[in-house]
Amino acid sequence: MSFPKDLKYTNDHEWIRVAGKSATVGITKYALEQLGDVVHLELPKVGETYQAGDTFGTIESTKTVSDLYMPVSGKVTKVNSALVNNLEGLADDPYAGGWIIEMETTSTPDKLLTAEQYEKFIAEE
Amino acid sequence: MNDATALKKTHLNQQHRDLKAKMLGFGGWDMPISYEGVIAEHKTVREACGIFDVSHMGEIRIKGPQANEYAQFLTINDVNRLAPGQGQYSALLNDKGGMIDDLIIYRLGANELFACVNASNIEKDFTWMKEQSTRFNVAVTNESEQWSQIAIQGPQSQAVLTKTLGAASGAAIEKLQYMEITEVSVDGTKALVARTGYTGEHGYEIYMPHSIVQNLWKSFLSNGAKPIGLGARDTLRLEACYVLYGNDMNETVSPLEAGVAWAVRLEDKDFIGKKALLAQKEGGLKRKMVAFIMDEKAIPRHDMKIFVGERDAGYVTSGSFLPTLDAAGGMALVDSSVKIGDSIEIDVRGKRKLAKVVKRPLYSAKVK
Repeated sequence: MSFPKDLKYTNDHEWIRVAGKSATVGITKYALEQLGDVVHLELPKVGETYQAGDTFGTIESTKTVSDLYMPVSGKVTKVNSALVNNLEGLADDPYAGGWIIEMETTSTPDKLLTAEQYEKFIAEE
Repeated sequence: MNDATALKKTHLNQQHRDLKAKMLGFGGWDMPISYEGVIAEHKTVREACGIFDVSHMGEIRIKGPQANEYAQFLTINDVNRLAPGQGQYSALLNDKGGMIDDLIIYRLGANELFACVNASNIEKDFTWMKEQSTRFNVAVTNESEQWSQIAIQGPQSQAVLTKTLGAASGAAIEKLQYMEITEVSVDGTKALVARTGYTGEHGYEIYMPHSIVQNLWKSFLSNGAKPIGLGARDTLRLEACYVLYGNDMNETVSPLEAGVAWAVRLEDKDFIGKKALLAQKEGGLKRKMVAFIMDEKAIPRHDMKIFVGERDAGYVTSGSFLPTLDAAGGMALVDSSVKIGDSIEIDVRGKRKLAKVVKRPLYSAKVK
């Protein structure tokens, strides 16, 4: 499986698209395949602030609940509420229409993986 | 991570892996959770035909001059109502009226019964049954290791089964009423076909020697059945409000509380646990099984607490997203005061989410 080169990734299978002090976050196709059918998504409230590594929401499949972790510290500026009613669409479009939150970053994104590093990481999982 | 080498494998294990099933350890067995996906598989069973590897289930034979007296004493239902070739849903109780296991018991002959028990309880059930058998002239044998089992379920299950087994078996299967069992020959090997299931659809459960299970599985697939995993097995049975041992009941839950009072024959026979059940009835049940649907977006799960106002009113026994209803819901053991139509709150990981108590079943079974 290959991953968009313009995105960065975390060990928790989130992707992040950084544009200056803004960023968009979602989860990777690999994570979605591991999860299976997604049946529920808990989103944070707009305006919430988190540190890198904090849980900002949950994603649920028929069998499991997984936490969603902030790849970088910041404040949530937008959440994809439409996605909650169209969870079947997530697996088809995880990197664009499947965005989960938009945020203002308050720290420099470090500890993020490139597409190649993420590919290597999941190959070893 | 599961150490798959320590888990038991059915004779279809390689088939599941070849089909790229997501595998999981379940009750000590290496089982397929899904192939195509839980929701797609669920729909296949409701609309067409799916097959399940249920070889992990247990089989116990009861045979002898006092087979009937023994079975009457050990189970809640009435085996004297069974003609040869008929089966019934039943259970084993301890003397406090708590459920040791639920099971289906078939009459194969005047003095011969055949029980199908839950995979996770095989050893426990057999030990209990052997202990209780010493006073009776009966032989109780654990045949679980000898049988493979495939469940074939869905509106097209009879067509696929008949096409696969041929016209002669098809005629015998056509005659099967719900809960009946018959012997068929699969290329010269004897198998048992029971018109039962755990999905709420028209279907069958087939008991066979290991020697024919792989070919039969492949034949079903080439005749239009799709493979279904344990994930969809759970969503299907939950919609039909069929109880699952370990989730909905355990040794502290009585069949009256579990909502299967219809299978308990309190009048005509004495059995282990009867006194406790009579006392429960007389005192009034303190809790009961209800079905519920979420009114707010959240997935209810086993053990989540239920509140009515500030009052602790019970807990979720089984919960899930329910594909046919396109909503989340499940079953719960709640205080007897809770009524159909009541609003309840479920503690979903620290947040209270609204749900409504509804009539069982969540999905009306089409088994008959």
